[in-house]
Amino acid sequence: MNGWILLPVFLPVIAGIFLLLMLSCERRRLHQAAGTVLVISALLALLAAWTGEKSVTLFYLMKDIPVYFHIDGISRIFVTFTSIVWVCVGIYAFVYMEHEGAEKRFFGFYLMVYGVLVALEFSGNLVTMYFFYELMTLTSAPMVLHNGSREAIMAALKYLFYSLCGAYMGLFGIYFLYQNCDTLTFTPGGTLNPALAQDHRTILLIAVFAMLVGFGAKAGMLPLHAWLPAAHPVAPSPASAVFSGIVVKAGVLAAIRTVYYVVGPDFIRGTWVQTAWMVLALVTVFMGSMMAYREPVFKKRLAYSTVSQISYILFGLSLLTPMGMTGALLHTVFHAFIKSALFLTAGVFIFECGKARVSELTGIGKRMPKTIWCYTFASLALIGIPPACGFVSKWYLAEGALHADVGIFGWLGPVVLLVSALLTAGYLLPVTMKGFFPGKGNGENSGMKKASVEISGVQNGITDDRDTGKKEPSLMMLIPLGILASLTIILGVLPNPLIHYISQLVSGLM
Amino acid sequence: MQFVQNFPFMTIILSLFSGPLSSILDGKKAKRVNLAVMSLITVMSCAVLVFVINSGSAYVYTMGHFPAPWGNEIRVGVLEAFMAVFFCVIMLLCVIGGVYEREQELEDTKQNLYYVMVNLLLSSLLALIYTNDLFTAYVFVEINTISACGLIMIRQNGRTLEAATRYMIMSLMGSGLLLLGICFLYDLTGHLLMSNIREQVQLLHQAGEYNIPLLVSLALISVGLAIKSALFPFHAWLPDAYGYSTLSSAAILSSLVSKGYIFLLVKIFFRVIGFGIVRDSKVVNVLFVFGVAGMIMGSVNAIRENNIRRMIAYSSVAQIGYIYMGFGLGTTAGVIASLYHVLSHAATKSLLFVAASGITDASGDHTEFLELTGAGYRNKLAGVAFTVGSLSMVGVPMFSGFISKLLFAQAGMESMHKMLPTLIALAISTILNAVYFMKTVIRIYTPVPAKVLQKKEYRCISMKEQPCKSTALVFFIILNMLLGLSSEPVIGLLRSGLAMFA
Amino acid sequence: MSANIMVVVVLLPIVFGVLIPLIPFKTRRHMTWYVEGVVLLTSVLVWGLLISQPDGSFVLFRFTGNLSVSFRLDGLGTVFAGIVSSLWPLATLYSFEYMKHEGHEKFFFMFYVITYGVTLGIALAEDILTMYFFYEMLSLVTLPLIMHTLTREAILASRTYLYYSLGGAAFAFIGMIFILTFGTTSVFVPGGVIDTTALGDRQGLMLLIYVLCFCGFSVKAAMFPFSSWLPKAGVAPTPVTALLHAVAVVKAGAFTVIRVTYYSFGTELLRGTWAQTVVLGLTIFTIVYGCSRALKETHLKRRLAWSTVSNLSYILFGAALMTPLGLVGALSHMVFHAVMKICSFFCAGAVIYKTGRNYIHELNGFGRKMPKVFTIFTISGMALMGVPGLCGFVSKWNLAKAAAASENPLGYLGVAALLVSALLTAIYMMTISLRAFFPGRDFDYDMISDVEDPNWMMILPLVIFVIAMFVFGLHSEPVITALESIAAAMN
Repeated sequence: MNGWILLPVFLPVIAGIFLLLMLSCERRRLHQAAGTVLVISALLALLAAWTGEKSVTLFYLMKDIPVYFHIDGISRIFVTFTSIVWVCVGIYAFVYMEHEGAEKRFFGFYLMVYGVLVALEFSGNLVTMYFFYELMTLTSAPMVLHNGSREAIMAALKYLFYSLCGAYMGLFGIYFLYQNCDTLTFTPGGTLNPALAQDHRTILLIAVFAMLVGFGAKAGMLPLHAWLPAAHPVAPSPASAVFSGIVVKAGVLAAIRTVYYVVGPDFIRGTWVQTAWMVLALVTVFMGSMMAYREPVFKKRLAYSTVSQISYILFGLSLLTPMGMTGALLHTVFHAFIKSALFLTAGVFIFECGKARVSELTGIGKRMPKTIWCYTFASLALIGIPPACGFVSKWYLAEGALHADVGIFGWLGPVVLLVSALLTAGYLLPVTMKGFFPGKGNGENSGMKKASVEISGVQNGITDDRDTGKKEPSLMMLIPLGILASLTIILGVLPNPLIHYISQLVSGLM
Repeated sequence: MQFVQNFPFMTIILSLFSGPLSSILDGKKAKRVNLAVMSLITVMSCAVLVFVINSGSAYVYTMGHFPAPWGNEIRVGVLEAFMAVFFCVIMLLCVIGGVYEREQELEDTKQNLYYVMVNLLLSSLLALIYTNDLFTAYVFVEINTISACGLIMIRQNGRTLEAATRYMIMSLMGSGLLLLGICFLYDLTGHLLMSNIREQVQLLHQAGEYNIPLLVSLALISVGLAIKSALFPFHAWLPDAYGYSTLSSAAILSSLVSKGYIFLLVKIFFRVIGFGIVRDSKVVNVLFVFGVAGMIMGSVNAIRENNIRRMIAYSSVAQIGYIYMGFGLGTTAGVIASLYHVLSHAATKSLLFVAASGITDASGDHTEFLELTGAGYRNKLAGVAFTVGSLSMVGVPMFSGFISKLLFAQAGMESMHKMLPTLIALAISTILNAVYFMKTVIRIYTPVPAKVLQKKEYRCISMKEQPCKSTALVFFIILNMLLGLSSEPVIGLLRSGLAMFA
Repeated sequence: MSANIMVVVVLLPIVFGVLIPLIPFKTRRHMTWYVEGVVLLTSVLVWGLLISQPDGSFVLFRFTGNLSVSFRLDGLGTVFAGIVSSLWPLATLYSFEYMKHEGHEKFFFMFYVITYGVTLGIALAEDILTMYFFYEMLSLVTLPLIMHTLTREAILASRTYLYYSLGGAAFAFIGMIFILTFGTTSVFVPGGVIDTTALGDRQGLMLLIYVLCFCGFSVKAAMFPFSSWLPKAGVAPTPVTALLHAVAVVKAGAFTVIRVTYYSFGTELLRGTWAQTVVLGLTIFTIVYGCSRALKETHLKRRLAWSTVSNLSYILFGAALMTPLGLVGALSHMVFHAVMKICSFFCAGAVIYKTGRNYIHELNGFGRKMPKVFTIFTISGMALMGVPGLCGFVSKWNLAKAAAASENPLGYLGVAALLVSALLTAIYMMTISLRAFFPGRDFDYDMISDVEDPNWMMILPLVIFVIAMFVFGLHSEPVITALESIAAAMN
């Protein structure tokens, strides 16, 4: 019996519901309980993932549609980085959420989303995946509107509707795939019935395109990307971290599953769908970077950065070559660590000094050098400067593009990636530079601070005297941040095991 | 020759002579005599009906000792007998239902005159039904017109006088045309007895001679009777005549007088000219067009009307349209549908008039819509009766109107070209009927605030307060539902009766 | 059980309903027992019928010739009778509590019970005339229920309702006559009864009449452009809006459409014609139109009514696909939508009953004060959206499956419309839930301190509906298999 592999799904979900229903709870006990459940589930998830391929059918949703879980290579990668990030951010949140309030609700949903994500990653067929995809949308929305302000509620609604819109476009595709596939169970190389597919080629291509755009909504791809910059600034930082690092990857996972495991890359290779997908991805890469470059609010800047970076991954997937796929998967993993680390630093700034705008961060390096170093490492990784990990994935992406048979995009892709990397440097590094080398005009910004206090919604008595002297955050915050930042460097220095694993996986796929 | 066979003649004579009798009695006694005579006639007609059904064929009753083709004849078949029974019943109920109004609205000295008119009308109707002689038919058409005129203007106010004058003018024009048509026929065939004319017409038709004069006479007769039965667009006299005359008159006029002419038309079509010739003559197409137009325009006018009596009157225009549309289909099924609608409309329209008067009684004798608000609560039976009548008019199953709608539609389906127009016209007309009748029904069930209620001269009327009207209403409702729920025997009678015509 | 029971289940509520105002009940409680007793007895008899599936027909009386009012139970009728008979007792239970504040209870329950019998009459009708007969009856007996409050608004609404219904019936009548004339029989036969030899070359005429008939019957199902009566009829007491305008009456419209399409005209003759294109186009448009109107509406019950408009067109869309799969989709949505929508209406009714608030912007913060009601409302909203695991997903899946398999470009468009509508549903339902649960940081809960959950009579039906939503959502196979066996008879 493989039923136990669902423990990491049910344990956090049930614990989460339990937390939500509980009337009141002492803060310490809440943290203990949530932490224990989180760690145990993560360990179980990793155990389930790394002890061979297993599958289990839970029940039949409809006659020929089981809720079916199957653990394969892709699930393994996704579960691993999800679990690491989730635990790290969870620990960080124990401290951070103090000033946001309503912790019980936050951790309840936090645990539930984890369980749902694991289920999503373990899903063995398209409908099961859709099931958890939608559940994830619904359970994660309360994390966005956590602080209950008007902007937060509007942002949550935006998130909800963009995600649902995407999900429904995905569902549109699923309906047609169900008609034209032998099975919706994930099978490397696709399950499209050749005879049927030939008859319904046009509508199938439209369906696949709808799915890509739809699932792209979660991944922040044009044209359904607008929820990201709205949701991140209002959500608590740990929530932003997991949203940017993990939840958006659900869109990537869905795209991978659709293209490589159900439709089959051969069906869309060379069609207008591939072209359109590539164009959308590249435009998003460029546009995201540009927007990030112009954005003054720090978390919003990071959100735009996510928009751009996830489309790197989608671009890699859209190449439909092993090389591109490898690059995409590598970037998925790396970006998860990098972006959660970046958001955690942003959280530190808000939590410790109430600074939400980039311009206020001048001179911050003097006060919290460790934090800024973590930030810098992560930034370097995102820009793609060796030896940090981003370099490796971008290398593969560019190589993949150059070797793929995609015409003009063969060289246009790498160029866009390069330009975007420059922009990335342009929007990330000034924080470090200004942080360490504030220059002479430091005092001029004090007028802005008060405004920013109101904007960020933090009102726990931050005063200007905090600006001076070292003030690192507590260890509970610093250690998770440190782990994530160091992972970005370690994976950059020693990428080979991961590359090896992924290329094996990919070669099995194509 | 059995004794029962004398009854048709006796009924005509009986009601004809009870008229003069009524004129010398005072109002109360005249009423009793009148009711007794009508009941007697009803019973006798029933006996005739039973006899004819049992014998299974029509019989001819020769008046005096002159045999055809010179003498005058009465011909009795199932259809004639059934119509006679039905007309008597409706007449009886209408007279009973309107007792209260008559006593209120008519001068005491004229009470007995009313019964004279009623008796004359009944005898002329019976004569129209039974006669086998075209000229006799014409004579009774005139008697019918005059007595109807009397019924209209016996309630004396300015509007009824005007209405009666208009009615008179239109009716006389119709009679004139009818007379012209009969003259043509006489000229062509040399006969006045229906059966004899028919033989000659068949011969002429086969020979292909005198086609145009034949057509002209057919057209003249059709138009003449159409004017008299208020087919659109000759309906201008109708709303005033029905709207302002006393209750019994309105009910009788709408449900019986026009129906008598229609029955005469059917008789002429089948017994005088032969339906095959009528169908070939394309006159039916004209009737169809005017019938459909009447269905729509009558309802449209009714929707625009603000007075409940006049609204019901306009609704009659629409219903007459149905009947002519049925003739216009040019099939036996269409004629049966029309005949059924004659019955159904007679039962429903008189019900509506009586119920409407019950409603207006409860609203201080106002007939405007706004004043009727909540009347259904004040006079419960009238409210229910009006609802039943309205539903029947709209053609809701369970009530008689549905069956006639069903028959019309089924008859329409037999015809290639008229199928779609018939169906669409029926549907549109149903919707229009629903609009104005249901509007009224909802209006009378809309409650009135208590304050307004006290201010106005509204009063509650129980069933016991108006025993005559209540009885009439109950019988009308039963009649209506009978026609709606077990129409099969009636349709069977109509069918066999029509078969006997030939 | 013998076929005669069918007459009993139709007449029993009608007769006992008529008696209600005549019986001098000592207390209100006696009346409620009587009403619930009649309804439950009928339901038990119906369930007995559905289980035993008697295979006879029963002629109540004859109209003319061979046209009779007669009953027979078949697969489709089983589905509709099943829905109606399961929901009626629960709705009655709910209305005892709700109607306390509406008054005129005797008349209300009289028509409420009569409507039950009439609806069963539609479900059990053996031929098109019987169905038409009860269809018209339904318009009439539900009229007093809409008028119930007797306010100006209610009167206007009932007038609109009546015009639409009778108008629709007038066009349905045309279709009925056509079937009576050109059908080999007036009885419903899977696959249709049109006699093609008698029809000859009048194919075009048949299609025209089919379209008219479809539109006529779908007036009750509130298809565009005949949809505006339904939101207006929302002035009726909530048990009426919930049971009749979300289930019985409107589903009767959908049911009759399915009857004429699949059992009278026959899909063989209609599939691929312009008539199908027209009706598909109308239903697809209504799906989106209803949702958009719901989005604009700020009145809670009217919003739900517009949502019903859209959802009913799901059913009609499935029916208009004219494939057995489409029928399965339509029927499954008929069953599941009944549960979902009655549940959300009852939640709305609970709010109105407890607080008298009608507009959505007045519901801020109710989630904390009426946690049970609003949790259930949220779940029903999710079910309407089609969240997997709840029953709405299953029926949408079946509909979309049928549409995707229909090889009809409009079918494909319909799939898109279904999803657009799902998104709009999410917006109009979730905004209510969000407002209730997250009123904003500065919300003062003292303003609604008087708000609380209603008592068990109202909560019990809701809980049962929620359980049903989950059960159907997670284990729909028996239902779908049963529906498939009905649809299989079409071929």
